[in-house]
Amino acid sequence: MGACLRISLTISCLLLIWISASASIPSRESLGIAPQDLSYYKSDVIKCKDGSKKFTKEQLNDEFCDCPDGTDEPGTSACPQGKFYCPNVGHIPLTTFSSRVNDGICDCCDGSDEYNGNVSCPNTCWEAGKVAREKLQKKIATFQNGVTIRKQEVEKAKQAFAKDEAELSKLRSEEKILKELVQKLKEQKERIEKAEEEERKKREEEERRLKEAERKANESKNAPEESSHDITDQAPEKLSELHNQDAMEDHHDSAVEDKNDYTTGTEISDNQVVGKVANDHDDTIAKSGHEADGRSDGSSFSHVEKQHVVEAQDNAVSKANTDYPGTEEELSSHVAEQGQVSDSTEGLSREELGRLVASRWTRENAAEGNDEVNMAKEGLEHDEDIREENHDGYISDSDEDHKFEDDDLEDDQDAEFGEDHEEPTDLTVSGSSSWLDKIQQTVNNVLQAFNFFRRPVNISEAATVRKEYDDFSSELSKIQSRISRLNEKLKYDFGKDREFYSFYDRCFESKQNKYTYKVCPFKKASQVEGHSSTQLGHWDKFDESYRVMLFSNGDRCWNGPDRSLKVRLRCGLKNELVDIDEPSRCEYVAILSTPALCLEEKIKELQQKLEDMNTGQPSAHDEL
Amino acid sequence: MPSPASRSPPLLLLVPFLLLLLFSAASAWKKDEFRNCNQTPFCKRARGRKAHSVPSLSTADISISDGAVVARLLPSQPLRQATDGDDPESDTVPPRPLLLRISVYQGGVLRLHIDEDASAPRRRFQVPDVLLPDLDDRRLWLSRLSSPAAGSSSFYLAEGFEAVLVHDPFQIQVRRKGSGEPVLSFNSHGLFDFEQLRAKKNDDEDWEERFRGHTDTRPHGPQSISFDISFHGADFVYGIPEHASTSLALRPTSGPGVEFSEPYRLFNLDVFEYLDDSPFGLYGSIPFMLSHGARSSSGFFWLNAAEMQIDVLGPGWDDPAAPAKDRIDTVWMSEAGVVDAFFFVGHEPKDVLRQYTGITGTPAMPQEFAVAYHQCRWNYRDEEDVAAVDAGFDEHDIPYDVLWLDIEHTDGKRYFTWDRVLFPNPQEMQGKLAAKGRHMVTIVDPHIKRDDSFYIHKEASERGYYVKDASGKDFDGWCWPGSSSYLDVLNPEIREWWAEKFSFENYVGSTPSLYIWNDMNEPSVFNGPEISMPRDAIHFGDVEHRELHNAYGYYFHMATSNGLLKRGNGKDRPFVLSRAFFAGSQRYGAVWTGDNTADWDHLRASVPMILTLGLTGMTFSGADVGGFFGNPEPELLVRWYQLGAYYPFFRAHAHQDTKRREPWLFGERNTALIREAVHVRYSLLPYYYTLFREASVSGIPVMRPLWLEFPADKETYNNGEAFMVGPSLLVQGIYEERQKSVSVYLPAGQSWYNLRNGVSYAGGVSHKLEVSEDSIPTFQRAGTIIPRKDRFRRSSTQMVNDPYTLVIALNGSFAAEGELYVDDGKTYDFEQGAYIHRRFIFADLKLTSVNIHPANLGGKFPSDCVIERIVLLGLPSGAKKAVIEPGNREANVELGPLTLRGGSSPDAITVRKPNVHIADDWTLRIL
Repeated sequence: MGACLRISLTISCLLLIWISASASIPSRESLGIAPQDLSYYKSDVIKCKDGSKKFTKEQLNDEFCDCPDGTDEPGTSACPQGKFYCPNVGHIPLTTFSSRVNDGICDCCDGSDEYNGNVSCPNTCWEAGKVAREKLQKKIATFQNGVTIRKQEVEKAKQAFAKDEAELSKLRSEEKILKELVQKLKEQKERIEKAEEEERKKREEEERRLKEAERKANESKNAPEESSHDITDQAPEKLSELHNQDAMEDHHDSAVEDKNDYTTGTEISDNQVVGKVANDHDDTIAKSGHEADGRSDGSSFSHVEKQHVVEAQDNAVSKANTDYPGTEEELSSHVAEQGQVSDSTEGLSREELGRLVASRWTRENAAEGNDEVNMAKEGLEHDEDIREENHDGYISDSDEDHKFEDDDLEDDQDAEFGEDHEEPTDLTVSGSSSWLDKIQQTVNNVLQAFNFFRRPVNISEAATVRKEYDDFSSELSKIQSRISRLNEKLKYDFGKDREFYSFYDRCFESKQNKYTYKVCPFKKASQVEGHSSTQLGHWDKFDESYRVMLFSNGDRCWNGPDRSLKVRLRCGLKNELVDIDEPSRCEYVAILSTPALCLEEKIKELQQKLEDMNTGQPSAHDEL
Repeated sequence: MPSPASRSPPLLLLVPFLLLLLFSAASAWKKDEFRNCNQTPFCKRARGRKAHSVPSLSTADISISDGAVVARLLPSQPLRQATDGDDPESDTVPPRPLLLRISVYQGGVLRLHIDEDASAPRRRFQVPDVLLPDLDDRRLWLSRLSSPAAGSSSFYLAEGFEAVLVHDPFQIQVRRKGSGEPVLSFNSHGLFDFEQLRAKKNDDEDWEERFRGHTDTRPHGPQSISFDISFHGADFVYGIPEHASTSLALRPTSGPGVEFSEPYRLFNLDVFEYLDDSPFGLYGSIPFMLSHGARSSSGFFWLNAAEMQIDVLGPGWDDPAAPAKDRIDTVWMSEAGVVDAFFFVGHEPKDVLRQYTGITGTPAMPQEFAVAYHQCRWNYRDEEDVAAVDAGFDEHDIPYDVLWLDIEHTDGKRYFTWDRVLFPNPQEMQGKLAAKGRHMVTIVDPHIKRDDSFYIHKEASERGYYVKDASGKDFDGWCWPGSSSYLDVLNPEIREWWAEKFSFENYVGSTPSLYIWNDMNEPSVFNGPEISMPRDAIHFGDVEHRELHNAYGYYFHMATSNGLLKRGNGKDRPFVLSRAFFAGSQRYGAVWTGDNTADWDHLRASVPMILTLGLTGMTFSGADVGGFFGNPEPELLVRWYQLGAYYPFFRAHAHQDTKRREPWLFGERNTALIREAVHVRYSLLPYYYTLFREASVSGIPVMRPLWLEFPADKETYNNGEAFMVGPSLLVQGIYEERQKSVSVYLPAGQSWYNLRNGVSYAGGVSHKLEVSEDSIPTFQRAGTIIPRKDRFRRSSTQMVNDPYTLVIALNGSFAAEGELYVDDGKTYDFEQGAYIHRRFIFADLKLTSVNIHPANLGGKFPSDCVIERIVLLGLPSGAKKAVIEPGNREANVELGPLTLRGGSSPDAITVRKPNVHIADDWTLRIL
């Protein structure tokens, strides 16, 4: 009996100890108060933090809101604007809204927000904390490695930037020299051409005289035979020839020139129009071909083949509708012409009408699936895309370091220039000056070699001058376009350490279902589906102190805003587009992990957090 | 001959042109798509008639039969002649007599029934299942006809009222006994016309009607009915939703000074981008009109579900020289059906509402969560999106109770299914919301995808459950899923079958926290005439769609609501939101004002629209907060939340093309303002729930026009900008951008307390008030007590045990009264008395809690809830403490804030922690 009592006493004592250790509900005075705030509540009369009022210690956590800002009720739900602190020993402390206190839902992992007994919340802080700590440790590791990578990147960027700047200044001096050379060559060329011209005229006159003499000689010899044979055919021609001979001879050269250079105004415009029309037509054909490859034409064919006649007719009507929009009368007359009967008139089949009306809400097109208008639009966009892509000239290769590659259409021709002048080894000032010296020398040689006073003009020498001129002026334009591209590049803001410098020539891709998303910083972002591509936006700027990249003014949404994309950056070891989403119609959001965001100062912060979590680890837990 | 090259440029030009065409076409109300009166033969005919131009009818064989007055109506002239050719379809065959029956019901209701006799070629449609099933039990047994004057018979109607039947020409008048003052009259302008059914004389006769390529075969020919109703002693008439209007009172549609206007059209239509002010019909129809004037209030209801057009005639329409005083004349026209009309004598406006809801039913008692805030969008895309939005509310400490999923959650718009990719685990998703006390609503529309692999379609087509087209095949129309058929919900058997589909077994992926939204039930048919079903479609019992069109959505709503009721074994109150409605829809759930637009005028129009719905029984209604179409500026969105927080049904919704507009997306300041607006609603939930209880008992709406509370104050009669929430709160909307000040009329007889600062304002005056961005002007009427819960939670579910605050606004004699109703918020146990109903009475510095739960009902609802705070407005200073009995406990009295917001100043006398139980009797004396 006595033993029993003792045992039960011991048990209950142990139980009490255990309860006090594990349940650890703070006293009313400290309930919901963060440790750093405890001193604020020490005095007997406490001020509301907003200064509106004072309250006594008895009024602290007495389930009645005295301070509208919630100062007096940190541990209860009485004040709507209050905050509750859960220590979450073993995990991260949490400050939550007073509205969560005793609401029947466990919010704090230590269960301290639910103390009125209506619900029992197990303490899950140690387990949850362990997971969180591991996660945090991983994050710190990522940051640590990321910081190293970032440093390398910044160093690289520094070099690349210096390189680009050096190149730019080199190119500028080259441009200056080349300009002069080209100018000299041009003058030379013009002089040569003038000389040639004169020479040619002389020669031609000579030839003409010779011919004339010859002809006269021949005429006198063969005249009777010829006239007997061809008199009817040739006589008028010859007459005119005879009449105009002098004039023709005088103006022959200039006429030829005229024809080449200044063809009459009307001719030019006609030609241009025809040419343009022809081009447009080609475009159209190309586009409709593309569509056919895609969906719309193909589908309408398959309809004709697979489905019964009425539906095929519906399709035809739909096509008619898209092809020849106009008033409904026109449409119906169009239908009538084709002798088609649908049970609903006004030019639309019942299905068409249904789709059309539905499209008001959905903004989708009325025709089946992705209708032809959309397709046509996509087609147009696609074409533009191709053009633009070529123009912008980026490459999608993301992670590797790679050398600059020229992608501009005009630059395709001058690969050798690129090779010659873009190898880093060639970039020293001396190298460049020696190259320049060399060409200057060449030009001078050419110029000097040419003897203006020698007549006739030495053909090979003239050709050399011409070739040199052509070569150098194209060289010049290459240099100029390269300069403008470098200028274009260097005007961007690449971050405070230029940590985003390498992004300029990069694109990041991510595949999500049927779409491939392509994000090219400083340029644009797009969504590619098969052959069609939609612009999600053009580069706008960095935001939130380089934590966000904004792309705006993308393709317009059907009756909606222009598309836009917000790319949130976060620290990661690789440059990787990890997530992309469209939370609001045509407003896209992506996450890009990159070492550029692995900032050293953040590590300390994270380590502090981890330390807090570790020191908060309950000793009681270890004992258990 | 054009070369191929020259033909291609037009094709290129065409693409942008076509885009433009479609774009512009997609952004305007399509007036041409809907018939106007002139394009509607019966309306054109009826509207063209002048007073007393219709061949009159006389009453014959008047007698009392089965406790009702019966008679035959015969043509006064031997032959009915076409007058002025206004009726091209009139028959020269003499019409058969019409059968008239007048019955009287308890509480001042007269019912007039006129139909053809049995020799008619076809039975005309009478709308079933709208009147309360027990109505006949409340019929008064008439025993005696008097003859007050030659050529008329009179009989008892109600205390102080009698009805008079004038024999020739036939006319009915409801009037006050003694004074003989008329209240309502039927056919006093001789415009009653009843087109009798007749056989087609020959096949050449063309009865068809065509409209925009749609042909209505009209196999039974013209059969319209029209008549005039006069409201005597009326300053204004109200009601007959649904129309968008910025005016609360119905503006005249015809008469001197009225430039051309259409009549008010009652025809349920899915109107794309409707205008904020137009007599054209919208989604629902309630053919119930109320009149109010200083001397009288009355009402008239025509139970008829065919297309209806109603003209409100301006004074002097019949005689510009001598415009009628104190009388409003109206003309009612319907395409088909019978005369089954109810006259309500009032004479207080609340009496008229009680009389109307006495025959069509009072609003159902909603679940408590449904009275809280709803978050909707077309569409929350997937489970991740749902989780993120849910978390967003928690992160910003904004409460919400219901998250909604629009059509995109389904597998190809097959309702009762889930998109497998976007919503792979619907039950788990609902479970996560339910763990926080939140609910989910999914959409279920009446159009069924014609897909043989879809079980609903398979069953429905096999069983022949679809509406048939004129040729007898299943009607096939176009809606969201594409080719669709429509359930014939007129048939009770089909409604039962439909109801079964909501069981947890049948609706795979549903859980007990899931409720339903019925959209597109006008019905909306994208390729149908006026975006609806052809009038010659055939329903159960060979009823033409034209005869029941306006009630189609009602039957669908009813079937769905019954489905949820069955699902919960009759224990769980259904929540079903419907877009279409008819008289009686209030018994089945909530409605909203459909696809409105994010502009200030639509914000303004929302108040008259919701007030009108409330006046016609549909108290549980609201408008999409923020506006469905378009993107509201943050200021408009905030103002909409501030106003919408007082709508009986409080839901934010948005079109799929709009920018996301969850409350926290517009910067910290706007987030705080919206949070505050939502908090206001949550703190008033006890008051709202009490008001819903009142509505479910008496039919008095939650949101009320001022004149309903102040029937004698003429200034209030056409105030559509401000409204009362219950008897105690006055709310003034702010409907203009950057508005600096607003003029608020506070009704006479009481003073009013501004709920922002407790300042008192005199009644009977317009006050010019400064407008602040943080709230819209709200006032508590002196002499009232409002119960609140000022602690905020994630959702209403967690507020159940929270303590109350009472706000007592004292009148000139330092008295006030208010009520509190509490039940479990979910079940029907309240019907067995499981509820708390208290009246708080403050008088002589003593607050008393009185039990008004009827003792004989038994039942009890236990609650440990206490009152933690009592705020007294208008009490002279000097109060020191409060003494509570029983127990002789003391509570402190001090100055405290009116609301618990940061920065609010302590300017109200507050009883601190009285902690009296709401379930108990007690008194609290201020010393």
